[in-house]
Amino acid sequence: MKESVASTVVFLLLLFLNTGLLNGQSPPGKPVISKCRSPEKETFTCWWKPGEDGGLPTNYTLTYHKEGETTTHECPDYITSGPNSCYFNKKHTSIWTMYIITINATNQMGSSSSDPRYVDVTYIVEPDPPVNLTLELKQPEDKKTYLWMKWYPPTLVDVRSGWLTLQYEIRLKPEKATEWETHFAGQQTQFKILSLYPGQKYLVQVRCKPDHGFWSEWSPESSIQIPNDVTMKDTIVWIFVAVLSAVICLIMVAAVALKGHSMVTCILPPVPGPKIKGFDTHLLEKGKSEELLSALGCQDFPPISDCEDLLVEFLEVDDSEDQQLMPTHSKEHPGQDNKPTSLDPDSDSGRGSCDSPSLLSKKCEEARANPSTFNTPEGIEKPENPQTKVTRSQDAQSARLEGKIPYFPADGSKSSTWPLPQPPSQHSPRSSYHNIADMCKLALGVTGTSAILLDKTDTQALRSSKTTKTGGEEKAAEQKEVESFHSKTDQGTAWLLPQEKTPFISVKPLDYVEIHKVNKDGALSLLPKQKENSHQTEKSGTCEGSKEYAKVSRVMDNNILVLVQDPRAQNLATFEEPAKEAPPSLQQNPAREDLASFSSAPSSCGLQLGNTTKYGKCTLLENAGECG
Amino acid sequence: MDDKGWSVKAGSLLPLLLLVSDLLLCQGVASLPICPTGAVNCQVSLRDLFDRAVILSHYIHNLSSEMFNEFDRRYAQGRGFITKAINSCHTSSLSTPEDKEQAQQIHHEDLLNLILRVLRSWNDPLYHLVTEVRGMEEAPDSILSRAIEIEEQNRRLLEGMEKIVGQVHPGVRENEVYSVWSGLPSLQMADEDSRLFAFYNLLHCLRRDSHKIDNYLKLLKCRIVYDSNC
Repeated sequence: MKESVASTVVFLLLLFLNTGLLNGQSPPGKPVISKCRSPEKETFTCWWKPGEDGGLPTNYTLTYHKEGETTTHECPDYITSGPNSCYFNKKHTSIWTMYIITINATNQMGSSSSDPRYVDVTYIVEPDPPVNLTLELKQPEDKKTYLWMKWYPPTLVDVRSGWLTLQYEIRLKPEKATEWETHFAGQQTQFKILSLYPGQKYLVQVRCKPDHGFWSEWSPESSIQIPNDVTMKDTIVWIFVAVLSAVICLIMVAAVALKGHSMVTCILPPVPGPKIKGFDTHLLEKGKSEELLSALGCQDFPPISDCEDLLVEFLEVDDSEDQQLMPTHSKEHPGQDNKPTSLDPDSDSGRGSCDSPSLLSKKCEEARANPSTFNTPEGIEKPENPQTKVTRSQDAQSARLEGKIPYFPADGSKSSTWPLPQPPSQHSPRSSYHNIADMCKLALGVTGTSAILLDKTDTQALRSSKTTKTGGEEKAAEQKEVESFHSKTDQGTAWLLPQEKTPFISVKPLDYVEIHKVNKDGALSLLPKQKENSHQTEKSGTCEGSKEYAKVSRVMDNNILVLVQDPRAQNLATFEEPAKEAPPSLQQNPAREDLASFSSAPSSCGLQLGNTTKYGKCTLLENAGECG
Repeated sequence: MDDKGWSVKAGSLLPLLLLVSDLLLCQGVASLPICPTGAVNCQVSLRDLFDRAVILSHYIHNLSSEMFNEFDRRYAQGRGFITKAINSCHTSSLSTPEDKEQAQQIHHEDLLNLILRVLRSWNDPLYHLVTEVRGMEEAPDSILSRAIEIEEQNRRLLEGMEKIVGQVHPGVRENEVYSVWSGLPSLQMADEDSRLFAFYNLLHCLRRDSHKIDNYLKLLKCRIVYDSNC
């Protein structure tokens, strides 16, 4: 029975509900308490969400009871906090107490209750945002501008008594920025911002939090405009500086462009290379050392082979002559015919040419002994010389001269020009060699004028010995001349070197001759000088006295040529004179003087010049080391 | 046990650091050495004592709140413990002010004594809490370390408060009154649900009382030190 009754009741209820649903009406849905908050821990408010109202007006009530109490209370204030809220004022708020709150929804159809919510005010504190946020731009002197902000705690919160302790937080951003810059401010109610962008508008907000609660909402934005840092004056200064530097840059670029090269050379001067005055490197590349060295001012270097040959050959000849003459010299008295003992068997042909009778007075002498040989023209060459030498060696006198004859190359190919009368000092050694050769040639062919020329030759070359020469001692005169030459130059001395080396035995003392004339043959007609010697007087006659010296036997020191009388024109007796007065200039060993070489020459007294002029001059000059 | 002790020590450093940094930020208080007991001429100002006390009370409440939240999240979900934890704190017999007006009406000496009572009432429960949390099967280190830290800090706070009381109204020594906690058997119950509820309830009450102490001290500080003008 009971079961049937219960089931009937349930059926009816369901029917009633269904009827209600069919009509679109239903009991309210279950409300839900959404949120309870306390702004200052003195009051609190709860909000609920109502459920479905069921199509009917629904009444919501909030009921609560506190921990430790049994009575149930209803919400004291539904209005203050807005709809669906319940505001609990201070009187109804207890801290550290649990509230059990329930919302009841009631409509015509029914009612529903929410789940009880356990609320402890201690833990639901969420204050209001701080109030009165003020921003101020402070610009202290000599310091950077900063933003100073101040705010006040929310009005409801009691901080002074310490009931609530608040902590603050600020945030700011430029107006156009997207992200905020947040700063924790602690319990202070003011804050400074230093890093600001000038010329920007900043927005600032602040919020607070109780010591054990929730953060408040952000305060409304406060804005402030940051002024520009750069003043008008600074801007003008910077513009001026920029323009000035641009102008300077342009000037520098233009200067570099125009004078680029000269500037580069000015900054980086080229490294100088070595330079020698007169030195042409191109010649060095070509290998012409002669030209190169001539440019340097070095003359006559290296010496010409001619001179060397002359020098060498002459040296050779003298050595052999001395050897041969040594034994003979001791035997015979000077004054005999000169022998061409000086001729070296090994001597070259040059001597032969020098021994040409036309050339030298000595050849005259020689011609007597071997006229054929000595009278030959300059074609006489070496092969004959040895013979003459041998023959002359017997005489041992006349040959001396020949030995002293400077070497004249047979061929006249060398040095064709006859040097003009010039101071021997001016002549280069090289030219002197040439001149000797020329003299040999010319002595053979030159006519008449040569003597005059010889007379006219520079007194320097001939010195005073020429004028002082007596006829008898042609050789001496010439020798003196030769010697005078020699005194001038060292090279002449070189020639006489063999003379110096070897004890050249001079049979006769030297005597001076005077050039009488030059015959057509070019032979020099010499007159012995008038001297104290009685022998000389014999020769004073022009015809007698004049001897023909067509040959230079030797060249003595002090540039004196020792002439050999032509055997044809010589009178033997005239030459057999004792040692004549030696020229004072003669410095040679008297033994060396072989005046005996002035052997009487046959035949003519006339001088055979031949090439005498040249000869004399050349020899003199040569002795001087120079050919004019 | 030693390993756990070390980990607890390490874990306790973090909240301590947080407390120190928080308090320093809040009030810019430089930690001063407290006078050693027995020193005759040592005078620490009341201000410094209160500052130190507030720092400790604040720190203790933070630890308690975190511990409760951790426990609630981990163990008490869906069990309806909150419904049962009503009027179950052992210190509820102590008549403590319930709102600001009541607190401001209480004389600061009484309020100090009240603080002392509450602090003393929690010595025993905290000790057992640590012991029992350690014994839990899957006791998280976070809860255990905090429990250990709270116990230590609470002891120190008590010492500080006694100093303050000695300075505020010296000479009067109150009988040590405190609430006796008898919840230990509950913590040791075999039923897991009951035991967990016991822990939950204990942590709930601890959180509340630590907040009370912190609030009272701040009130007193502002009233005594800053003359109600914090």
